This record gives sequence, C-alpha cells and structure tokens, in this order.
Amino acid sequence: MESDPQTLPAVIAAESPARPPRRRSRFKETGLLGVMLALGLMLSIFGGSLQVRDRDTGETRTVNKFLRADNLDKLAKNTSFFAIMAIGATFVIITGGIDLSVGSIYCLAAVCGAMFLNHFGPRGAGAGASPVWVVPMAILICLGVGTLCGLLNSVGVVWLRVHPFVITLGTMAIFRGVAFVMTKAQAFTHFPAEFTDGLIRYKVAWGGANLFPVPLAIMIGVTLLAAWYLRRAVTGRHVFAVGGNEQASLFSGLPVSAVKLKVYAFSGLTAGIAAMIMLGYYGSASSDAGKGYELDVIAAAVVGGASLAGGRGTALGALLGALIIQMINNGIVILNIDQNYSQIIIGTVIVLAVLLDRVNSVFREKRLSRAAQLVKESRNEEASESKS
Amino acid sequence: MHAARHHETHARGLRQTAAAGCGLVDSRRQEQAAPAIAFRNVSKRFPGVVALHGVSFEVRTGSCHALMGENGAGKSTLGKILAGIYQPDGGHIESDGVPRRFRSPLEARQAGVGIVHQELALCPNLSVAENLCLSALPRRGVVVDREGLLTQAKRFLNEVGADCDPEDELGALSTGQTQLIQIAAALATGARILVMDEPTSSLSLAEARRLEQLIAQLRQRGTTILYVSHRMEEIFRSCDTVTVLRDGGHVATMPLEQTNPDDLVRMMIGRSLAQFFPAHAAHAAGPERLRVEGFSSPGKFRDVSFSLRAGEVLGLAGLVGSGRSEVALGIFGLDPAATGRVFVENQPARIRNPREAMSLGIGLVGEDRKRQGMVPEMSCGENVTLASLHCPGGRGVWGRFVHCPLCARKAECLRIWDFIRLRSERQWVAKFFQLLRVRAASPDVSAVTLSGGNQQKLILARCLARNCRILILDEPTRGVDVGAKAEIHRFIDELASAGHAILMISSELPEVLNLSTRVLVMRNGRVAGILDRSEATQEKVMQLMAGRNGASQASPATQLAQLAIA
Repeated sequence: MESDPQTLPAVIAAESPARPPRRRSRFKETGLLGVMLALGLMLSIFGGSLQVRDRDTGETRTVNKFLRADNLDKLAKNTSFFAIMAIGATFVIITGGIDLSVGSIYCLAAVCGAMFLNHFGPRGAGAGASPVWVVPMAILICLGVGTLCGLLNSVGVVWLRVHPFVITLGTMAIFRGVAFVMTKAQAFTHFPAEFTDGLIRYKVAWGGANLFPVPLAIMIGVTLLAAWYLRRAVTGRHVFAVGGNEQASLFSGLPVSAVKLKVYAFSGLTAGIAAMIMLGYYGSASSDAGKGYELDVIAAAVVGGASLAGGRGTALGALLGALIIQMINNGIVILNIDQNYSQIIIGTVIVLAVLLDRVNSVFREKRLSRAAQLVKESRNEEASESKS
Repeated sequence: MHAARHHETHARGLRQTAAAGCGLVDSRRQEQAAPAIAFRNVSKRFPGVVALHGVSFEVRTGSCHALMGENGAGKSTLGKILAGIYQPDGGHIESDGVPRRFRSPLEARQAGVGIVHQELALCPNLSVAENLCLSALPRRGVVVDREGLLTQAKRFLNEVGADCDPEDELGALSTGQTQLIQIAAALATGARILVMDEPTSSLSLAEARRLEQLIAQLRQRGTTILYVSHRMEEIFRSCDTVTVLRDGGHVATMPLEQTNPDDLVRMMIGRSLAQFFPAHAAHAAGPERLRVEGFSSPGKFRDVSFSLRAGEVLGLAGLVGSGRSEVALGIFGLDPAATGRVFVENQPARIRNPREAMSLGIGLVGEDRKRQGMVPEMSCGENVTLASLHCPGGRGVWGRFVHCPLCARKAECLRIWDFIRLRSERQWVAKFFQLLRVRAASPDVSAVTLSGGNQQKLILARCLARNCRILILDEPTRGVDVGAKAEIHRFIDELASAGHAILMISSELPEVLNLSTRVLVMRNGRVAGILDRSEATQEKVMQLMAGRNGASQASPATQLAQLAIA
C-alpha cells in the first residue's frame, strides 16, 4: 500500500521527507526599527548640543543633546512603564480583546505597595522592620494586586460574557475608586531606602552622569520573556489562535476560556510590574497615578503592530511602539517645540503608524499571492507532466 | 481583431441554434437584437495573479447563461466586473451593443445590472422592507414613509414570491429567504441583467427548487441571467447556454443541449472525470468506535441512535434544518442541552466540550470553513498543528511538567513542558502536507492564501495530527473545486480503509451515496431511517428525507417527495 494512511504514529514513523524547508525569518519589526533609528538620527542631528560641566574635573564639555547618557537613560526609564504595560496590552489585543483598566490597575497596585512601604518606611509605624522581607513583600504586593485585578477583569469577560471593552471600562473606574478611598486622596511617601535607592533606583555613575539601569533591565527582561513565550509556548500559540478565530479554536479543542483568563491576568501583572518600578523610582504614589495611561499603552501596542481585530502583535513591537512614542515626547523637549503641540504630534504619529502598517501588509499580500502563483504554475506543470 | 470577428460570427451561429433548440419565442428577433452583455477581451490582474486574460463571449438577452469553471478559474471575478465591483485591466463590456465602463456598483446598477452575492450583501440588522428600498427609501419630508415602504416592499416580495413579513429583521430569516430577498432587492433597483454568484451554495434542496422556478419566471419576463455555479444538475435544469473558463481563460461557449456533464467537467479541468473519481473501495467494518443512544436536544433533534464502526463511512443525509449538523455538534460537546448516551470505544462518555471530545479521539471538520476552521492570521503549518499542542501523556502538573522529559509518548507530542518543539512541528507539518498533498508555497504562508480545497485539507490534517480516530466531516467538499473534491473523496475512502470511523454529513446526495457504507437519513430532527449501501438509492434517500407520506409534511417536503417520485 503505497499511501498507507494515516494514523499519527504511522505518519510520524514514516520516512521523514527531505529536511523540511527552513522557516523563513519571522522578524516583523523591521519597519518599526527603521522608524526608531530614523527618529534617533534626526534627534541627534537636529537636537543640537549642550555644554555640561564635568562634576569631577570641573571642565565643560560639549555633548549632543539627545545622544547623551542621562537623556537616553531618562528615555529608557520613561519608556519602561509604558513598554511593560503595552506588552500586557498586546497579549490582550492579540486575543481580540482590550484592557482599558491598565492605568487604574497600575494606580491601585502602586497605592497598595505605597501604603505598605510607607508603613514600614522610616516614618511609618512599622519602621525598623527587616528589609529582607519588607522589600520582597512590597514587590509581591504590587505584582499580586495587579494580577488579581487582571483576574477580576477576566472573570467578567469569560464567565459573565460581557464585552471586554465594557468590563474594563467599568473596572477602570472601580479600581481607581478603590485606590482613592484607600488613600483618602493622600500621597504616600517615605519608603525604605532599600526598596528605592537600593533596588529600583540603583545608581551607576558613568560618563559623568548617574544612570538607573534597573527599569531598563526589567523592561528588557519582560520583553524577551514575552517574545519567547509568544513565539514558542503552547499558550502563546493559543493566544494567537483565539484572537485569529475564536470559534475555530473552540472547534480545535483549545482551552479558550483559560487562554483569556491568562491574558487578562498577565495584563494586570504587567501593570503591577510597572507600578513597582514607578514606586521605587519616584518614591511616592497617590490615587492620581497613571491617569490616562490606558490610552498611551494601547497606542504603544497599536503603533507596535498589534491588530485590534485580533490575531496579530508582537512583544518587541510593543516595546518599540512605546519607545517611539517616548522618543517623540523627548524630541519635543529637545527640539524646543511648544509643549502644547505634543498631543497633536503624537496623535498624528499613531495614525501614521497604523497606515504604514496597512501599506506594509498590502505588500506582504502581494508577496504571498506571487508565491501562490508560483505554486499554481508548478501544479500546472505537474498536471501536464502526468498527462504526457 | 480578426479572431474577435470570427468569434462573433461563431457566437451568432450558436445563438441561433440555442434559440431554436430551446424553442424560445421568435428566434429571428433574438438574433437581430444586440446581446444583453458582451465581454470583449476582458482581462483582470490581481497582484501576482492573472485572474482573467482576454475573455470574450456574449450573453443573449433573456437567456440564463451559466458560467462554469473550477475555483480560481475567474468566474466570480467576471461576475464582479460585470457588476462594477472590479474594473477590468483590459478589454471592455458591451451592454446592448454599447461599450460600457462600470466604475462602481452604482453605475452598473444604473445600467440595469444587479448582483446576487455568494455571501450576504444586505444589512442583517434592518428589516426586510428597509433592505429592499434602501437605495430609495420612500419618505415624507425627512421621515420615512412607513406605509409607502411596506406597500412597496410587499410588491417587490410578491414579484419573487417570497412569503415573509416585510417588517421582519433580515438577520432572522433563513438563508433561502435572504437569497430571495437579495434577488428582490436587485430587481427593485430595476435590474434587467442579474449576476447570480453561486446562489444555491447554502440553500436546501427545496429552496434551490424555489429559486429555479423564480429563474424561469424572470426569464419569461425578459431578464437576462448570468449564473455562476458549480452544480451541474441545476445548470442543466435552469440554463440554456454555458461558458466554461479555465485558469482565467475562455474555453468554450455553447448551448447546453450540445454538451453533457462529462464534457463540461473535462473542459473545466482539462482532463477527464474518470481519472478523478476512483471507484469506492468496500471496507470490512471493524470494532465499534462510537455509539449514540437516545440522543436528544430540545428543539433540535430527538431520540437519535446509531453506531459507527471502524472502517465505516456513515453518511448523514437530510434537508438543511433536519438536525444533521446539530447532532454532530452535540456529539462534539458543543450543545449543553443535549441528553442521551454516547459510547466511545464501548466506554460511556460524557462529552461537555470539544476539548474532551478531542481527547477521546473525536475530530470535527465544521461545515463553515471560514468561521469554524481556519485561523486566518496563522500560517498553514500552525493551522495544522493547532489541535496537537496538547500533552498526550500524564495529566496535571506532574504529568505535564515534571514527568515531561521522561514521557513515553514523546513521538506523538509536540511539546516539552509548555513549549513547542518547533523543529518537530515543522517535520509533522511537512509530513501531513505530503500525505494530503496540500499545495502551498510553503508551510509559512498565511492559510487564507490557499484555495478552498487546500484549506479543507489543512483542517482534515489538523484532526489527523491530533490522532482522531472518529472523524465527523460536515460538508467536507462545500465550496471546493472538482479536482480537490475528488482528492478529498479519496482521502475519506483511504481513511476509512485505514480503520478510521467517519461520520460524513453532506447535502450532495451523489457524494453521500458514493462514499458511504451506510446512509443515515434525518428528517425533522429524527432518524428517518438507516440504509445499507446496497439498498441506498437516490429515490429511497430522498423519500426518507422528505417523508414518504407527503400529506403529513410541510410544503417543501411535499414538493420534494413529488420530485423524488417523478
């Protein structure tokens, strides 16, 4: 039996075809990287330079306004909050959902962490407690509160079957309200130095400037993990499948509800991570924290190539999206553009980015149909061969 | 130029014979009148694909002109060019002898061309009446004139003989009714030329018959119809002339009585049919794989019992709405209201969701490939392995995580802990591509770029990759071209002989009769009978589908019964 079918073990045991063709590169962020480099180049050239006095020697040096260590460090720090949350948002958006509550989760997680840290801080009632458990506890509280809020969202989406837009619109108000009530509209400061200066605000002196590498490191870590997870993990694949076609995923026996549960929880977790960085970096939090962040985060994800229709998006894209938006913010300062125009500029960039993405996908389709044509031709050849 | 003239004279000759053959009124007048539509050297390129090159033929006024060809032959493209949805890259269209260029559907409509789409092109959220009069809502000042709207809509509905309330929301109607309403909407805009793009692909038999009558009526009134379809039977019943396209080129235009189905298929695929449809192999039935007893779901089906053995193809026939697909979904765990007993490999099974069904080895290839099958954003390869990323080994944290590297079932597993082994995945995909002869540029291209037949193979491969031994195939060859259809038929046959148990639902009786070991006929949610291959004939199955006792059945059923006897 030449084509003896077809049970799986039989197929798998069968002679392997000549090495399967190599996977073509799936790097989709070339365009974004290009935009980022172009923006960087532009800012370095047109940003002009600046006189700085070296703190040790007292000499003045001329440095590029954009390409100098502390500016880049500030850029990285500003990006880190949004990038991390944008990665969470990207997961949600890939499944075809949306999470409007990230800003509020960020705020609630920050406020909970802040109250805890304030209590055990130098001026709090629990002063003098060992940092060995206070610091990990604080981190756990931020991440835990974030995840819990995310889980609440997913309960609404999965079990109550309410559209995620509505659920997260509701929880956006609820979480912020809870934060407001908890804090009685006060700001919390005076955290243990082991958490702020000792951890998140860990300083490295380099090139005459103080750099804070921890937020950057966390951001890169989260991005790499998320990128790897999306590409290689079974759940990552399921995330794409659910977003691409939920019913087909159901018919293929995928745990659709569990996948959704996970992405909303993850989105909450990323908000918790961002809250933790913010607490450590700024050393204070109030119920106003993160107001309006949800839109910045979604904008970053969308600029990064996530499709609001679901099924498309990457972690690296989210990072680059957040970075590009922050670079524009940064550029507005460096180029001395009137601050009042910043919103107009950023709004324009978002629209342009999405347009660019669409043009790109048109090109991709052209490439694909060309490939399809090749297949068709080879099929015709086959047919004519078999005829003769 | 010379070729075109030659073609014209040729076409005129054909027209003459066609008119004479059909016994149409006054063939002389027909001959002199300019054709309702003439395609002159029409070409259309899509990025990377030439959909049409130099297609020329004429459509006589008042004729029903069939347009045939495999999927991708360019039929729909041609229809869409006529309806102004696409613009030709070369050549032009003549309407009543006048060269025309339709730059938008609106211009085509103004010239009297209406299109009835394969997919619905109306607003499901509006009422029937509003849909019918959408382009010119009768109004009093700024307000819609309710009364006028209803009377107008009723007139349009009467014209096509649709018996539905004009105030019903369109989305609530059956596919057949919406199809009629689409035609009514096209006529409402004053269409003299109707393009019907596979109008019966989602209709039940009775609804298709209704459409046939309507086409006859329309022709009597002098409407010209360009009828795009795969279905030989209805073309021979409704149409008088046929044009065959292959790979974007014009093959032939001829009166239908000068040809026969075999010739047409040969022209469509460029080869003869015998090469395509192998004889069905009889298989020895093996042990029982699936048994269903007293399976019921309120409002959908009642008391369905059958058993399915290895090596068997159980054909499930019935009219649309008889509960065929619902039973399949019920077995697959997608109907929470379903009650009754299901035994898989003689073990009682409670299947609450597709996940559990698949872990018992039941796979379902849904009837709607786009909605229930493909994940368009994912590559072909990823679509194949989508269902196989589970852990076949142990359950729980221990089995999935701790024990994983030591698992004995590694050969049928694509993961290590929670991660996909990408290289094994690619090997699997390559094997299944080879096995099912999936034609794709590469496993990495997006699944939407494949033809319908290849997409169907991908979904079949998905079930096989999951090692499903019980396959439920719901309309496995819907919207698939002739070549791929034959291939899928052969796969079904081979799978059965390899010991799979197959439950095949199909609206195409020849398919059911040709492939099935036994045929289960459903009527009104009940099992009307189970016939053995030897006793299953078209007449018997149709009688069971429609109900032997015509008087006790609903009107479409009566019609069918009469038809089956006739």
